[in-house]
Amino acid sequence: MSYVDTAAAIELSPRARRRRLLRKRFLRRPLAIAGLVVALAFVLAAIFAPVVAPHDPSTIDVNALLAAPSHEHLLGTDELGRDVLSRIIFGARASIQAGVLATLLAMLIAVPIGVTAGYFRGWLDPVVARLTDVLLAFPFLILAVGLAAILGPSLLNATIALGVGAAPGLIRIARGEALSLREEDYVRAAVANGASDASIIVRHVLPNMLSTLIVQATVTIPAAIIGEAVLSFLGLGVQPPTPSWGVMLSAAQPYVNEAPRLALFPGLAIFFCSLSFNLLGDGLRDVLDPRTTR
Amino acid sequence: MPLLEVSDLSVRFDTDDGPVHAVDRLSFTLEEGEVLGVVGESGCGKSVSLMSLTQLLPSTAHVTGSALLADIDLLRASSSRIRRVRGRTIAYVFQEPMTSLNPAFKIGRQIEEVLQRHLDLSRAAARKRATELLDLVRIPAAARRINEYPHQLSGGMRQRVMIAMALACDPKILVADEPTTALDVTIQAGILDLMRDIRERLGTAIVLITHNLGVVADIADRVLVMYAGRKVEEAPVHDLFASPQHPYTIGLLGAVPRPGAASTTARLQEIPGRVPSLAEVPQACAFADRCPRADDLTRSQQPELREVRPGHRVACFHPGGEWAA
Repeated sequence: MSYVDTAAAIELSPRARRRRLLRKRFLRRPLAIAGLVVALAFVLAAIFAPVVAPHDPSTIDVNALLAAPSHEHLLGTDELGRDVLSRIIFGARASIQAGVLATLLAMLIAVPIGVTAGYFRGWLDPVVARLTDVLLAFPFLILAVGLAAILGPSLLNATIALGVGAAPGLIRIARGEALSLREEDYVRAAVANGASDASIIVRHVLPNMLSTLIVQATVTIPAAIIGEAVLSFLGLGVQPPTPSWGVMLSAAQPYVNEAPRLALFPGLAIFFCSLSFNLLGDGLRDVLDPRTTR
Repeated sequence: MPLLEVSDLSVRFDTDDGPVHAVDRLSFTLEEGEVLGVVGESGCGKSVSLMSLTQLLPSTAHVTGSALLADIDLLRASSSRIRRVRGRTIAYVFQEPMTSLNPAFKIGRQIEEVLQRHLDLSRAAARKRATELLDLVRIPAAARRINEYPHQLSGGMRQRVMIAMALACDPKILVADEPTTALDVTIQAGILDLMRDIRERLGTAIVLITHNLGVVADIADRVLVMYAGRKVEEAPVHDLFASPQHPYTIGLLGAVPRPGAASTTARLQEIPGRVPSLAEVPQACAFADRCPRADDLTRSQQPELREVRPGHRVACFHPGGEWAA
């Protein structure tokens, strides 16, 4: 039987082989690699900010107000003489924290609701579907701004607002996945062999929607990062003097003519940070899609 | 006392176009260790009637009648009770081996899950039993295969895994719904061989749903022929092939190619016309429109089942003889 030949060819465990295949596919995508490297750099900078940053982000140097970039201050100083590079590095903490936690919160809200509606159907499903449609009619940022205004300004409240604001889109995706997975033959077979609804959800529905959720998470993170910057810019998120990219942009407004770099550098940080997560997400989607052959 | 006794089973689906009578007053019994073949064209109610036994039909189905399994009426059992019957007492093997396994888990884990669910085995004991089951369904190198994912197995192998899962809890009844249709012929023979082996070694009663009379002749003890939701003939397998009574059965047999016979040059007999719509209970024999023996009696009344010899029943006003009668 040909079984013997194929067995000889498989020296690795199946999981290791699948991992190797996925890695190979990922390494063929230069943009995805760039995204991963840059995103990782931002995350590490946020975690190790006190080590990486050349100055304390809130130390005021009265001898160097609005100083141009120099050896001492690589990206110059702001209107209070604080080092811009250090503030950007510390600002990454607020952005990454808001991005990751808001996405986790959105998942925690959306997956149980979406899966329950999509799997059990019944009266709940149309109710959930129409409600998410209504919420999706509001642009994500408007929803987040409204919620943040109700909750009051702070980084935690901004994160909650962003998480709740991102939930409707994720509910729709989780529901759609559950709707299609419940019709799979292996779910039918599990029912015929006596599986309960709970075990079908845990063992059949959730594992098979995992890759979709991972991709969706990497797309939600940059949206939440931008959202945090917007909320902080509007004074609804991080409060000065704590550094945040949004706060820095907001503070730079009066000095746009004298020192446009005060707005430029945090702007670039937001741009590259969200772009890197987006590229990473695109790459993951291509790699995890079973129809990908490359 | 028979293992399973189904009486007057009717299934009606309420659709937007009105009710569809998928199964009409079907009665049959199943003895312990017996292989019952259920044959008929697509849409004649074969699968629906067997699925209804463990309440697997969607909520649009209205099921009446009774199905007694050791004093439990399966059709009226509570949902928690019926869940203990599913997979434990009555297990199913479906037609689509390629998609009936969860792609996210190793096959061993999927078999263990059934064992842990119904028999409360420890992880280690379940693992041991899963390996034995893979051996039982003749998967070579079971101890290694147990760690493979479904996509690494061929269709025939996957169907063997499905059978192993169905046999996991040593069910009394195995319902195999066209288990070989999606497989190529050499693999088919292996699966049928396996089923025969299972019946002999484990004493499992098997209900084999198929439209392939060759498969029935191969392993069934008794055959139930269904047409338009009704049982039209029922007989021990040898009687059915030796002297088919219902014109529909005769037509089915005429449509089977026989190598070596003079028929290599002769045209295969087909049954003219199509299966009637099941939208209403007909006031005539459902087969009348396609039957060469149809007369006024056939067109005005439904024939009841009659016994033509012990164990051989037929629902026809003009049974027996040859197709051209």
